[in-house]
Amino acid sequence: MISAGTKLNSPADLESFAQSLHSSEDKVSRSVRVCIGTGCAAKGSRRLYELFLEAVEQSGKDIQVQAKCVGCHGFCERGPIVVVEPGGIFYQRVEEPDVAEIFRETVLGGRVVQRLLYEDPGTGKKAKEAEDIPFYKVQERIVLAGNGRIDPTKITDYIAEGGYSALAKVLSLMTPEEVLSEVKLAGLRGRGGGGFPTARKWRSCREAKGAPKYVICNGDEGDPGAFMDRSIMEGNPHSVIEGMLIGAYTIGSEQGYIYVRNEYPLAVEHLKTAISQAREMGLLGQNILGSSFSFDIRINRGGGAFVCGESTALMASLEGRPGEPRAKYVHTVESGFRGKPTNLNNVETWANIPQIINQGGEWFAGIGTEKSKGTKVFSLVGKVVNTGLVEVPMGITLRRIIDEIGGGVRDGKSFKAVQTGGPSGGCIPAEHLDARVDFDELTKLGSMMGSGGMIVMDEDTCMVRVARYFTEFLQKESCGKCTPCREGLAQMLHILNRITRGEGDVGDVEELGVLAELLEGTALCALGKTAANPILSTIRYFRDEYDAHISDRRCPAKECRGLFRYEIDPEACTACGICLKDCPADAITGEKKVPHVINQEKCTLCGTCWEKCPFTAILKV
Amino acid sequence: MPLHSDIKSIGKGKAVPTVTIDGHKVRIKKDATVLDAARRAGIWIPTLCYHPAVSCDASCRLCMVELDRGEWKQLITACNYPVRKDIVVYTSSERAQQARRGVMELLLARAPESKELKALAERMGVKETRYPNVTESQRNCILCGLCVLVCEEMIGQSAIGFAGRGVDRTVAAPFRQASEDCIGCGACAAVCPVGTIKVRVHEDQHEVEISPFKSRAKLLLCRECGAPVISEQVLAKVEIDCEEFRELLRLCPKCRRLQIAARLTIATFYEKE
Amino acid sequence: MGQENKLIKKIVDRYDGDVGMLIPMMQDLQAEHGYLPTEQIRCLRNRLKVPLSRLYAVATFYSSFRLAPKGAHEVTLCMGTVCYLKGAPSISEAIYKEFRVEPGGTTRDRLFSFQAVNCVGACALAPVMIVDGKYYDAVTPQFAIEILHGLSPADQTVDTAKKGDST
Repeated sequence: MISAGTKLNSPADLESFAQSLHSSEDKVSRSVRVCIGTGCAAKGSRRLYELFLEAVEQSGKDIQVQAKCVGCHGFCERGPIVVVEPGGIFYQRVEEPDVAEIFRETVLGGRVVQRLLYEDPGTGKKAKEAEDIPFYKVQERIVLAGNGRIDPTKITDYIAEGGYSALAKVLSLMTPEEVLSEVKLAGLRGRGGGGFPTARKWRSCREAKGAPKYVICNGDEGDPGAFMDRSIMEGNPHSVIEGMLIGAYTIGSEQGYIYVRNEYPLAVEHLKTAISQAREMGLLGQNILGSSFSFDIRINRGGGAFVCGESTALMASLEGRPGEPRAKYVHTVESGFRGKPTNLNNVETWANIPQIINQGGEWFAGIGTEKSKGTKVFSLVGKVVNTGLVEVPMGITLRRIIDEIGGGVRDGKSFKAVQTGGPSGGCIPAEHLDARVDFDELTKLGSMMGSGGMIVMDEDTCMVRVARYFTEFLQKESCGKCTPCREGLAQMLHILNRITRGEGDVGDVEELGVLAELLEGTALCALGKTAANPILSTIRYFRDEYDAHISDRRCPAKECRGLFRYEIDPEACTACGICLKDCPADAITGEKKVPHVINQEKCTLCGTCWEKCPFTAILKV
Repeated sequence: MPLHSDIKSIGKGKAVPTVTIDGHKVRIKKDATVLDAARRAGIWIPTLCYHPAVSCDASCRLCMVELDRGEWKQLITACNYPVRKDIVVYTSSERAQQARRGVMELLLARAPESKELKALAERMGVKETRYPNVTESQRNCILCGLCVLVCEEMIGQSAIGFAGRGVDRTVAAPFRQASEDCIGCGACAAVCPVGTIKVRVHEDQHEVEISPFKSRAKLLLCRECGAPVISEQVLAKVEIDCEEFRELLRLCPKCRRLQIAARLTIATFYEKE
Repeated sequence: MGQENKLIKKIVDRYDGDVGMLIPMMQDLQAEHGYLPTEQIRCLRNRLKVPLSRLYAVATFYSSFRLAPKGAHEVTLCMGTVCYLKGAPSISEAIYKEFRVEPGGTTRDRLFSFQAVNCVGACALAPVMIVDGKYYDAVTPQFAIEILHGLSPADQTVDTAKKGDST
């Protein structure tokens, strides 16, 4: 009798265990799934889970009810999220007082609690299930399929959903060459930003001379605004482990590492639990599932450095050194970690492998575009109505993502640009919203898909400030080893600071272009080489904003302090006197019942009046 | 000079690949660098962080040259690009020159007081820099890392290392205190291309100080005349079997010469006998 | 080093002495003390047999490591234009006179760490001082001193220390 924790000695063991799990799952008639991903947990979802557990306990045993904690659904701004089966009733923004009602009405009574359902901000329509929510409707969740269904801390959940069956198939029916063929047919490309064909990387590592060989999972997700990998590592850690097992088998590796950034403690915890449970059941370690294949995984953590997302820097960090990149004239598949052949892939890349093996490379290649197959998880954030993680087929347009899934720009503002690809990427303006998102299209437009971050910006965003923000970020994160990145970023930031302070000079834009070209050609690693992309893309599409800052000392978006004026709208002003009283420069004059006026000479542009006016009578001009 | 022997290719790469550099054909050992090939061809490429005695990090990015990849040309660092097959390289193309000049301008902006840097820049044809000084350097340090490498790889002490990150990156002794691992050999000062590191002898205290690291080491004094000779720890590292030679090293250079001369005189005297 | 040596041994053994796990080792060490004490780093060097300069390089490269203890409380004084005009410099001076701490530093008794920032965006409340995330508005030098004297002492609130084993 196989139970959780028993060693599985063959693929047949795994299959019968999975079946036994199904039959016991069938006995459960109702279940309530509480998301405990970092986003929902920050809003107290763990406590909700505890309360539901208590409710289940007190409910008596005649109905088989189950309370389960699950991983990130991706719709974090609507958390805490609770889903009740049967029916897939999707509750959002659940609070502690709601638990009793949900349990009584929905779990036991099968009735819907209307006020906790998602309501479309535009139409007011309520959605009962996730599929009814526009955010989820257009998505095709393959990598994220398990999130929200599987308890990430229980390997049995993963196995019950077919987990590790791909591994069993590979070990019993496929040679490494056959696995390579399948992955090649699938056309999978690296999901961390590089987009390198995965099968080709695996093959190079397989054929490289040297031993031992290593496989590494890059969990250092550092792009500000991106949290795809976090949700996979937290919500479905076994999908990554299974992917790595298959990859290791193909390449001929017995030791793997997962490098998780320091800022993801829950991901580390769930991965550790998953690894230890997998070891217990003989899915990691010696002679896996009774075969001659042995493989184990160690987890290492980052120390707080964005640059460690770069593969050679990550490997240096794994060796207990500062995360400084090195030359890649000799590729890491030949000489990487400890100078040995190493295959490094991103979390999402690994997580795609089990499905490719189970459903076939041809199935995968049927999704997406000609050169970019499969789906991609994006993190849609910023000034959209619905923010969260979105998994869609490659080739979908930006417009569909932002409007249909994201619900459009929030607060009735107009769309200005969407920043993609993190600090290595660029901003794409409205005229290109029909661009199809894949590895190559966005690059043509001066940006890149990168790891999947999509930050939506509206009319109130100053694009020069955006460039400045990313440049400052990169300067802080630069390892400092090579001259162009270390000195060049400092020079570019210096120029951007002058421009946003109204001290720009004619020729500054050209100077930025010269520096950008220098960095691209001479920097040692991808961080430095692509560092100027945010600047270049904003110059390309928003040159007028740069010119306004430099020639007119004016910020069109009215964000840069000192580069726009405050004026009182005489029609809206009620002469309440609040602004006059609070102005630290005594720049406002006015008597009772007479609209007040700001003396522009005295005004220090602090914005106090704008903040304090109860009648929105102060305008930014 | 090209090799005369012609070895057939072994395995994947040619054992003796040919580098065509600025039109000159040069044969070099497999895994030698483009810089090696350039030197063999008598072509000068400026370098700062390269030194034959230590490994190459290619951090200064000064030695940029163009590699012909057929459909496009790639900018590479000559000092650490390993040659594994026949390649074509251009050192004086517009793009390569512009790249090198740009890097030098950034360095000049960082360390405007360095005479050595200015001299190197002049030789490259860079008279001045368009950039203002926006980063601070510790006494013109350009972070080439040669001092760190030499201390680690040649001397084996690792008394100094890098600290910090990005624009705050510096070379320092641990905790910015005098390092107990420093033996006062001065190898770091010897390889520093811009004169940041200096060896200071404190005669009164019989110590040698490596500035700016504050590390000190005790100096051996000459048995004959009392002048400072060498750091005791450095001498301890030198393995010489012959006692006579070991003793010679404990004398200052002047007294050493006198002693050798004295011995020679006696020897010739005995010979005459 | 006796007592501390035991801690270092425990941490190093936890990771089988694998130098590749240096970052998690240092994180565990920092979790115990709230920062990385110099003497502990030396003990770590003795145990791992790697150069001290390498440990220092790692400790100063990654953002999560602190080589100096942080105060039990975090005090931020805004020095943006408006706060400046409304007297923030005199507040800073008064804090220095009373507690002998300058912006960027920590008081000797580790009661609080003090930093000055360039505009927190609450100009209507100027001058602004933030203590442990709580905003104080219209602060005067006297008021600032009063607030700071009211902070609970350091030895009760070393927040990040985790006692016992960590995985």
